[in-house]
Amino acid sequence: MGWETWVIATFSRTLAYGTPLLLGTLGEIYAERSGVLNLGIEGMMIMGAYSAFAIAYTTGNPWLGILTAAVVGGAFSLIHAFASITLKANQVVSGLALTMLGLGLSGVLGRGWEGKPLPAPLGKITVPVLSDIPVLGPILFDGQNMIVYLTILLVPLLWYILYRTRIGITIRSVGENPATADSLGINVGRVRYLCVVVGGILAGVAGGYLSVAYRPAWTEGMTAGMGWIVIALTIFAFWNPAIGMLGAYLFAALYHLSFRLQPWVSPELLRAMPYAFAIVVLIAVSRGTLQKRMGAPAALTLPYTRGEG
Amino acid sequence: MRAPKWLKIERRPVPSGRTIFTVSILAILAALVVAGIFFQAYGVSAIRAYQLIVKGALGSKLGLAETVRRAIPLLLCGVGLTIAFRALFWNIGAEGQLLLGAVAAAGVALFSGLPDVLLLPAMFIAGFLAGALWGLIPAALKARLGINDVITTLMMNYIAIYLVEWLIHGPWKGTQMRGFAYTDKFPSAAMLPLIPGTRIHWPTLVLGLVLAVAAYILITRIRQGFEIRVVGENPDAARFAGISHLKTTLLVMFISGGLAGLAGVGEMAGIHGMLRSATQISMGYGYTAIIVAWLARRNPLAVIVTSLLFGVIMAGGDVIKVSLGLPFQLINLFNGLILFFLIGSELLMHYRISFSFGRR
Amino acid sequence: MKTKVALIGVVALALIFGLSALTVAKEYVPGEPLKAGFIYVGPIGDYGWSHAHNTARLICEDIFPWLETVYIESVPEGEVEGYIDKLIQNENCDVVFTTSFGFIDGTFAAAQRYPDRIFGHCSGFLRVPNEMTYMADFYQIYYLNGLIAGALTKTNKIAYVGAFPIPELKRHIGAYTIGAREVNPEAEVHVRWIEAWYDPTAAKEAAEALVAEGCDAFAFTEDSPTVVQVAAEHELPSFGHYSPMYQFSPEYCVSGQLVHWEAIYLDCLAKVYAGVYTAHNLENLDYWWLLREEAVEMGAKPGMLINPDYEDALKAVTVDDPVLGTISVYDLVMARLTQMTDPSMIFDPFSGPITDREGNLRVPVGSRMSVAELTTMEWAVDGVVGPWPGEP
Repeated sequence: MGWETWVIATFSRTLAYGTPLLLGTLGEIYAERSGVLNLGIEGMMIMGAYSAFAIAYTTGNPWLGILTAAVVGGAFSLIHAFASITLKANQVVSGLALTMLGLGLSGVLGRGWEGKPLPAPLGKITVPVLSDIPVLGPILFDGQNMIVYLTILLVPLLWYILYRTRIGITIRSVGENPATADSLGINVGRVRYLCVVVGGILAGVAGGYLSVAYRPAWTEGMTAGMGWIVIALTIFAFWNPAIGMLGAYLFAALYHLSFRLQPWVSPELLRAMPYAFAIVVLIAVSRGTLQKRMGAPAALTLPYTRGEG
Repeated sequence: MRAPKWLKIERRPVPSGRTIFTVSILAILAALVVAGIFFQAYGVSAIRAYQLIVKGALGSKLGLAETVRRAIPLLLCGVGLTIAFRALFWNIGAEGQLLLGAVAAAGVALFSGLPDVLLLPAMFIAGFLAGALWGLIPAALKARLGINDVITTLMMNYIAIYLVEWLIHGPWKGTQMRGFAYTDKFPSAAMLPLIPGTRIHWPTLVLGLVLAVAAYILITRIRQGFEIRVVGENPDAARFAGISHLKTTLLVMFISGGLAGLAGVGEMAGIHGMLRSATQISMGYGYTAIIVAWLARRNPLAVIVTSLLFGVIMAGGDVIKVSLGLPFQLINLFNGLILFFLIGSELLMHYRISFSFGRR
Repeated sequence: MKTKVALIGVVALALIFGLSALTVAKEYVPGEPLKAGFIYVGPIGDYGWSHAHNTARLICEDIFPWLETVYIESVPEGEVEGYIDKLIQNENCDVVFTTSFGFIDGTFAAAQRYPDRIFGHCSGFLRVPNEMTYMADFYQIYYLNGLIAGALTKTNKIAYVGAFPIPELKRHIGAYTIGAREVNPEAEVHVRWIEAWYDPTAAKEAAEALVAEGCDAFAFTEDSPTVVQVAAEHELPSFGHYSPMYQFSPEYCVSGQLVHWEAIYLDCLAKVYAGVYTAHNLENLDYWWLLREEAVEMGAKPGMLINPDYEDALKAVTVDDPVLGTISVYDLVMARLTQMTDPSMIFDPFSGPITDREGNLRVPVGSRMSVAELTTMEWAVDGVVGPWPGEP
C-alpha cells in the first residue's frame, strides 16, 4: 500500500499542477522560437484566469470560459507583438509592461468577483475500465480533466510542427536568421505575430485552467508568479516542447512534494527545493555539448528591419 | 519585417538628449491621456486626479520625501544592473541579491558584537559581499558551464526568499515579537540617520549617487569598463582581443550583485531595523530596477533620473490608493501604460537598443 | 554634471525638510463628525483577512451617519508609517486602525509623533495613552470545530493547512486538537505550512498532500477558500475560515469560523464619538473579543451553526463527559457554545491538564491559560503531527 499511494498521489498532482505550467511553456517556446521574448506570461495568464471565470460564471459553461481565456490571452499578446515587432520596442520592457497591465486590469475588473463559487467547474473525468489499471489507472484516468489530456496531446503535435514541417522550419529560421528568411520570401513580421499570439492563447488557456478547473474561484493575483516559472521552464527546455513537458512535470512534482515532505524537512527550505533543483539539473546536464547544440534562438529579442539584419 | 505604410522609418543620427527628453515627456503625457479614461470610468475627473497626484508626489514635502525614499533601492539596484546588462549578463536576480544584502546586514547588526562605530560600515561591507556572492554563483555557472543566466538568477530569487523565511522562523527568530517571525530589533547604532521630518536614509542615497558616478566612470574611462562593453557588444572581438570572458562576467556580477546587496542594507538599516518576511522587505525593487536600468538605456547616470521617475510613479500610486480611494491595482495598470508608451516612442527618436540574451 | 545637480538638490531638500517641523495638530472634539482611516496589509479582494476588515468598515460607515472612512489596501509592513502620515496630514483622520501585526513598530512610532490622534493596532501588544490594541480571536471556535472533526473522522487523521507558524495559528491548531481529542482520543491533527498568507496554489497542493496522507476532515488558516474546495472535490468535510465559505461546498462545508470585526469597530468608534475614549486614556485598552462579545461566530455561513446535512451524524456519536454525562457530539458542541458565550465564560478549551506533544505538562489541573500565554503560545498540543518551526 505505502509506496503505491505515494506514487499515485505524486503523479496525479504532477499532472494537475503541471498542466498550466506546460501550457504556458509551450506557448512561450513558440514565441521565442520566432525570436520574440515575451515576459508578459503572468499578465496574459491572469487575464485568462479572470475572463474565463467571469464568462464561465455568467454563462454556466466552463468551456465557454476557456474559449474566452484563449481569445483574451491572444488579444492581450497582440499588444506585445505590436510594441516589439511593429514598433521594434525593447522586448524585455514591453513584456514586463504587459505583466503589469494584466495584473492591473484583472485586479480592477475582478473587483467584486471574489468569494463567488463557480456553479459548474470543468468536470473531472473517470474513464471506466482504464481507471481500474493498478497505479497507472488512478494517476491517468481518475479525476483528471479534459484540459490535462489535451495539453499532453499538444506536446507531440507542437513538437512535430516545429521540427518536422515547413511551418516549423519557417518559424525557426525567422528566430535564427530573419535576414535569410526574409530573402527567401518569408514575411518575418507575420510569422512573429502568429507565434506571439499562439503564446498568448496558450497562456490565456493556462490561466483559464486555474480559475475554472484547478481551483474554481477568482481572487486577485491568483496566478501568484506562475508566469515567471514558465519563463524559466522555457529556457530549461532548450526551446523544445518535449523537454518542456519533462521540465514542467518535474517542477510540478517537486512543488507538490515540497508540501508532502514537510514532516521530515524544514518547510521553508522545502519550499525552496524546486527552484534549487532546477539549477542542479542544469548543472548536471551542462556537461557535454548539449548546450551549444540547443541554445537560444539566435535572433531572440532582436527586432528585425530589412537591410539591417 | 516590412514596416506598415503609415509608419515611415527614417535613419537618423543618434538623437540628442533633448530629443529623448521631449519625446519621453510626450509619451508619458499620451499615456496619461489614455489612463484618464479609467479615472473617468470610476467617476473621478481625470484632471482633478492628476492635480492630486502631482501635488501628492512632488508638490508636498511628504510626497517628495516618499518619492526620493523609494528611488533609493531602485537607484542602487538599477546602477548595478546597467553594468551587468552592458556585458549582456541578463541579471534578473537583483531581488534575491538585495535580500542577501539584507540578511548579511541583519547578521552583522544582531550577532557581530562589533563596536558601535564599526557596525554600519561592517553592515554595508557584508551586505555588498553577500549580494555579490549571490550574483557570482550564476556568473560562474554561465561563464564556466554555459548555464543560462536568466534562469539561474530568477531561481535564486526564490531561494533567497525562503532563506529569509527559514532564518526568521528558525535560527534567527527573535524574542521581542512574542513568537511572531521576526528577528530582534537592531541596536540603534546599526540604524542609519534620516533627514529630519522624513524617512529618507540619506547615507544610502548619497552612496547610490556616488556609485552611479563611479559606475559611469568605470564604463567610460577605465580599461575594465571598456572590456565589459566589448564583451557585451562584440563577444568575438573580445575573444580576439584576449579579454577573459570569465573574469569580465565575474567582475560585472560582483559589482551588480554587490550594489543590489547595498540596497538591501539600506532598507534594513534605514527602514526596517529587523529582518522580516522577504515580501515585506522588498516591494519587488529588484524587478522594477530592471525596467529602471533599461529605460536609462544602460547608462548609470541616467538611472538617477529613471529611478526618480519610478519613485514619482510609486508616490503617485499612493494618491490613487489614499486620496482617490481607487483600487490599488490601477497603479499597475498605469505603470504598464506608461511603459508601453515610453518604449513605443523609442521608434520616434530612432534609438534602438539591441540586446540579445542566451547568445553565445 | 547631473550628479552635481542631484547632490545640490539633496542638500536643498535636507534643508527644507529640516526647517519645517510637523505642524499638524488637531484633537478630536466628541460629537463632531469623525474620520477614521483603515490600513490593510492585503488587497480587499482577497476574500480573507483584509476583505473581512473592509466589510466591517463598510458596516460602520452605514450605521454611523457622523462617520467618514478611508482605507488603504496592500500596504507593506515597513511602509505603514508613511501611509499613516498621509492619512493624518492629507486626509485629516482622527482615528487610524492598522490591521496587521507587522504594523506594530510603524503604528507605535506614529502614535508618538501624533499624540493627539487615536490609533488602534490589530493583534498587537504595544499600548500607550493614544494607542489601543484589538483582536477578534477564533480559538474557541477552532475547539468547537475540533469536536466536530473528531466525531466525523474515520481515519483518525484530521488536516490543518496553516499560513505561517506563529502563535495565533499554533493556538488555533492547539484548540482544534484539544476539541478533536475530547471526542476522539485517537485523533491526530496533521499540519502543513504554506509560508504565505495568500497563495492559493500552495494551499491547494498542501491540502492535496494531506488528502494523500489519509486525512479526512479539513481546517485551515489562510486567506482563500482553497482548502474547502479541495475537501469538496474529495467529498470530505471541511471548516470555512474568516469569510462565509458554505457556497463553495454546500454539501461538505460543515461549519467554520466567521469574524465580525464590526463588533469591535462599532464599539470603539461609538465610544470615541461619545468622548469615552480619547487620545489620553487608551493605555490599558485591549479588545480581546471572542464568542461572548459576538466578535466571532461559529458557522458555515452566518446563522448556520452546523450544516444540516451533518446534524444526524453528529447526533449519532456520543461521548462521556464528567460533567455533562453521556452526550451526543451535537449537543456537546451546543453546550460548549453556550458555556463560552456565557458572560462568565464557564468553559475554556485551554484548561488544564494539557500536555505538549513532548510530554511536558503545560497547563496544570485547575488552571486556565491567560491571554498573555495564549498570545505567545509556541508549543504543540499533544496530538499534533507534523512540522512545528519554533517548537520550544
